[in-house]
Amino acid sequence: MPIVVNLDVMMAKRKMSSGELAEKIDISPANLSILKTGKAKAIRFTTMEAICKALDCQPGDILEYRGEEE
Amino acid sequence: MWNEEKSVGLTRICTLAFMALLIAVVATAPWLTSWFISISRAPLEGSQPLFMVTIYTGALPAGYLLFNLWLLLGGIKAGQIFTLANVERLRRISWCCFAGAGLALVSAWYYSPWLIVFVSAAFMGLIVRVVKNLVAQAASMKDEIDHTI
Repeated sequence: MPIVVNLDVMMAKRKMSSGELAEKIDISPANLSILKTGKAKAIRFTTMEAICKALDCQPGDILEYRGEEE
Repeated sequence: MWNEEKSVGLTRICTLAFMALLIAVVATAPWLTSWFISISRAPLEGSQPLFMVTIYTGALPAGYLLFNLWLLLGGIKAGQIFTLANVERLRRISWCCFAGAGLALVSAWYYSPWLIVFVSAAFMGLIVRVVKNLVAQAASMKDEIDHTI
């Protein structure tokens, strides 16, 4: 899929662990893992809002579009 | 109190009853065909082997159909409804219906009332195929929902 999830990059920048983020945004570690590994097919606005709030970032910092040639 | 679990249980019992009926028909096919020919008004002398071939050949898709139905009900009982495994089972069931329909169509060559079985089995296969398509779409939607975080 050309949409890449850069959640792990933002987490590293903010020095936040998976467990801590999962707790802050109130989702299970398993679901966070699905999101981090790019296996998710969709993300709710509420989840995105919680992630942006917890990591103090913009949706564009988390999601990135990469075309076929890139 | 009647509930979904009991309903699935009843369907499983019915499936077992049909399995028992199939075994009984296969086991008594020589006697059954002989008796049928003796009471039939149609001139069927000498066609007993043909009836037996139809019954024995038809028992294969019928048995496979009932086996897949049993597995399907087991999946439903376990709460696994909109899964790719169930889609595959429904696909097999529909093809078993079509196989039975094909056999009945060929058998109509020596006994025309088999045409009724042909139409019934083909129609049943069509219905199961539509249900299979529905379950496949539902499984796809469930997968998407499951992967929406």
